Amino acid sequence: MRERIAGGYDNFVLPFMIGMTFIFIYLFIALIRLFAHIPPKDRIKFFKSLVNPKILYMNCRDILMDCLLHVKIFKRNLLLGYMHASIAFGWFMLIVVGHIEMWLYVPQRNGLLYYPVFFRYFVKQEGDLTLKGAFFFFLMDFFLLMVLSGVGLAMYKRFRSTAMGMRRTTKPCFADRVALACLWSIFPLRLLAESFTAGIAGGSFLTKPMYWLFANFLSDDTHILPTWWAYSTALGLFFLALPFSRYMHIPTEAFLILLRNAGLKVTKPRKGFAEAEIYSCSSCGICIDACPMNIQKKNLPFSSVYFIRFLRRHNTRKINQISDKCLMCGKCVALCPVGIESCGIKRAQRGTLYNSIKHDYSYLAAAHHTPAGAPEILPDNITPAAMMGTATAVAAPATEKVLYFAGCMTHLTTSIIKNLTEIFESSGTEYVFADKDGGVCCGRPLILAGREDAAKEVIAKNTELIRSSGCKKVVLSCPICLKVLREEYNLKGIELVHHTQFINTLLSQGKIKVAKGAGSMVYHNPCELGRGCGIYREPLNVLEQLGELKRAAKEGKESICCGGSLGSLTLSYEDRGKITQGSLAALTVNNPERIVTACPLCLKTFSDKSDRPVVDIAQIVNENICSVR
Amino acid sequence: MKNIVVIGGGPSGMEASAQLHKMGYNVILVEKSPALGGHLAKWDRLFPQGVHAGNILEGMISNINGVKYFLNANVQSINALGKSYNVILDNGITVLADAVLFATGFDLFKAEKKEEYGYGIYEHVITNADLENWFRTKNDQRIVENPKRIGFVHCVGSRDEKAGNRYCSKVCCATAVKQACEIKQEFPGAEVFCFYMDLRMFGRGYEDLYLSAQKEYGVRFIRGRVSEVAENINKELVVKAEDTLSGKPLKVTIDLLVLMSGMQNCSAGVKVAGQIGVAGMENDGFFETKDSIYSLQQALKPGVFFAGACTGPKTLPDSLHEARAAALAIHTYLQARDHQ
Amino acid sequence: MGKFGFALSPSSRINLDTLDNVKFAHLIEIEPDVLKCMACGSCTASCTAGKFVKTSMRSAILALQNGRNEEAISLLKSCLLCGKCTMVCPRAINTRHLIISILKVYQ
Repeated sequence: MRERIAGGYDNFVLPFMIGMTFIFIYLFIALIRLFAHIPPKDRIKFFKSLVNPKILYMNCRDILMDCLLHVKIFKRNLLLGYMHASIAFGWFMLIVVGHIEMWLYVPQRNGLLYYPVFFRYFVKQEGDLTLKGAFFFFLMDFFLLMVLSGVGLAMYKRFRSTAMGMRRTTKPCFADRVALACLWSIFPLRLLAESFTAGIAGGSFLTKPMYWLFANFLSDDTHILPTWWAYSTALGLFFLALPFSRYMHIPTEAFLILLRNAGLKVTKPRKGFAEAEIYSCSSCGICIDACPMNIQKKNLPFSSVYFIRFLRRHNTRKINQISDKCLMCGKCVALCPVGIESCGIKRAQRGTLYNSIKHDYSYLAAAHHTPAGAPEILPDNITPAAMMGTATAVAAPATEKVLYFAGCMTHLTTSIIKNLTEIFESSGTEYVFADKDGGVCCGRPLILAGREDAAKEVIAKNTELIRSSGCKKVVLSCPICLKVLREEYNLKGIELVHHTQFINTLLSQGKIKVAKGAGSMVYHNPCELGRGCGIYREPLNVLEQLGELKRAAKEGKESICCGGSLGSLTLSYEDRGKITQGSLAALTVNNPERIVTACPLCLKTFSDKSDRPVVDIAQIVNENICSVR
Repeated sequence: MKNIVVIGGGPSGMEASAQLHKMGYNVILVEKSPALGGHLAKWDRLFPQGVHAGNILEGMISNINGVKYFLNANVQSINALGKSYNVILDNGITVLADAVLFATGFDLFKAEKKEEYGYGIYEHVITNADLENWFRTKNDQRIVENPKRIGFVHCVGSRDEKAGNRYCSKVCCATAVKQACEIKQEFPGAEVFCFYMDLRMFGRGYEDLYLSAQKEYGVRFIRGRVSEVAENINKELVVKAEDTLSGKPLKVTIDLLVLMSGMQNCSAGVKVAGQIGVAGMENDGFFETKDSIYSLQQALKPGVFFAGACTGPKTLPDSLHEARAAALAIHTYLQARDHQ
Repeated sequence: MGKFGFALSPSSRINLDTLDNVKFAHLIEIEPDVLKCMACGSCTASCTAGKFVKTSMRSAILALQNGRNEEAISLLKSCLLCGKCTMVCPRAINTRHLIISILKVYQ
């Protein structure tokens, strides 16, 4: 193998080089801008992460698994996974093998960007094919075929998306269409170009037969150069359209993995980390089917994929509209192959709208805790300041008792409190009721509404309440409270559990025993408990001991929001009702006698619309307790 | 002789049957429960004067002498056959009916759906129907010996989008005031509270009932909807509402809470009607009448008629008027049909 | 001759004749739900913040209708947005967003 074209250059590489230069400059500027918007602390964190071997390993693993092999999509749908992986991994390998070939055969051209891309044009096969050469020819053809099969599937998906497990796909915008047309033509053109030159530069199982085939009816070699021109032009155009199209995710995604593994979070809705997330969106549209709102067709434009598209276009009106409407159920985040935290971006966006709203929580300072744990307002003659002093002074000594934190919503679902306190008594658990007569909100609703500053005051008050109880374990009934207590409170040394976990522990320790008399049921996993706190196994473990557990159409991390979520600010009651009905329909596909859930909000929302009883897990356990201790 | 199937053996079904029978029609009355009388049979006394429900029911039953009726019977299938309707009952009887009258009445709203009130969860929460049953039988463990305080919650499952019932159930205010007086007769020492949103005492003699509840029985009326009920360690109920007239949240501990369950279209009736394309309206679930003023007894389908609470909440006298009006409407319809 | 008779104390009577309701009209535009309130008081009774300090969605709406904007703000500024009032409202008013809008429009 040696160089055929003297100087190693031909004009047809120009379109490619223009595109390549453009994209390099564009990416460089984008990178600088992005770093400028990351808070200085985070910047240091990022650079430190690059030398941390553990994070380095994570980075390599994630880039291989997510960007190249698309393992997450494979898990969802084999064909869809193969489509993504074949294009990404195949293309990547073409580049890698192309470079190896160059290093081996024409090392003098190292550093020329275009050379490995158009390698077959510039070289000539000499004499008999060596084993090594045949190996590389085979590899190149193999990966080209892989990419071509992926492109073929992508074309098929345009017409029949259901074949790949997607009911709905994203509507492409103009730049997407341009880039898509280029992407679809790049590899067929490469196949043609390499086939035409296979007589000179050699080829393998794909390009060689193609060469013989064409040689039958194409007499001269005048078509070779135009095909290479077309291939180069397709590449160049693709790079020019890249920043304005969904394919920007190709370079950004890998970078996002580095940022995420460094532990960075969204701080601003459009800049810094969020920008990396926004440009990492491949517009695959998996979030469209995931969104519970899309039970109604009219809500399709509110899907996360369009939210991100509007962010890219700076369409403030639409951005606000979607971020206000979103249920924040987190399903799109859980299913996103890139792991874009669109809910975090929406929350940051809400912050820009609502964080400045004035509030007055000075009354919290005056609230103190009665021995029973319930905060009460002070008599008028005691000043809040004086009370603050005593509040810390009366902090109880450490106790074995658990603190029960019911939460605001649970006071509307009396069955939870009643049944759980009975379980406490049956199991001999001594407990202190933190909010028997109502407490202070946990702060998560404020955070969800983008009012993080206001939430801080509430969080401080509740932290003081929980610490002053002296309890080392808090049992919560509301997953909304649990999530915020785990993530935003500083309660080191205090164990925070949901009552599903608590009951599960009681059962495994034999403190209560249950009979299998609950009949058939289905479990609804509340958003904030499952996707929010990662609690999936415990409730199922408890329910399996109680009766026949039926499957729902969507379970686990794909569980559908009940429609009652506090996350949405603007969704109307009627639209919420449609979501509730859709969620109920998915739960009752196998006709269970009862629906069991573990969140007061889900319980209340479902009860209004369900055709069969909806109960909390505490109730179904309490009904079936057969012996105690 | 012409056949008329009347579905529902409550007051309006019985009254319409009696009238149609007198006009010379062959009436087949279908009742799903083991006895005639519908909700009336479960009630003790009636507002506004406190007439005994049993006496009224007795009169009605003696009035339907000669009407064929089937108890424990359900309509298995019904379908249009030319201008008639082929009705098959689950007891094997088949009737080719010239006209069908739906007198299917209402279901009481299931109070356990408003979980914040604790029905079925707390020991001392009952419904209006439970209280009537207690008045008749004096047998209900949930009612303590000498309650010191008793509360009535109006509009349970009525005027409530969350319960799916936006409408007013019309009779609960008067029932609550009546029951408040009655329970005060039973327990003269008890304090009685009525939690209402708006008091709708619209009929003849109702305002007098309200006045006597205030003056003679000392019932305290609090304008505010109960938002939640908790149970304390003594199984007493802690009721929270806003006293909207003073603009202050209010809390009261009571021994017995009575929930005034509202009316919904009868679900069994809806199922039967669905077979011939007669459906509940989207806004309230009650059957759609031909118009809202003049032809309240006629369905949109010829030969199908309504009487009573299946077309909206009604008092007993209202339902009886409708039953007679329906009988006349059926008669007019069948005569006009014969002339054609 | 000048005015004769007892003058009205401005604070003791709501004067609908002099009511400036431009802001309220704007609020209705963005929050039509504000018109749906039937003053049942469920929101106030269940209010988490209301346990500590006077907080009332119902009274705030009434105050706005009567042009007492300051009073309305003072009735809502303690709100924790916990959402209980949204859950109990029999007219299914989106109270949380309504409160945010009132605070934004009138502050």
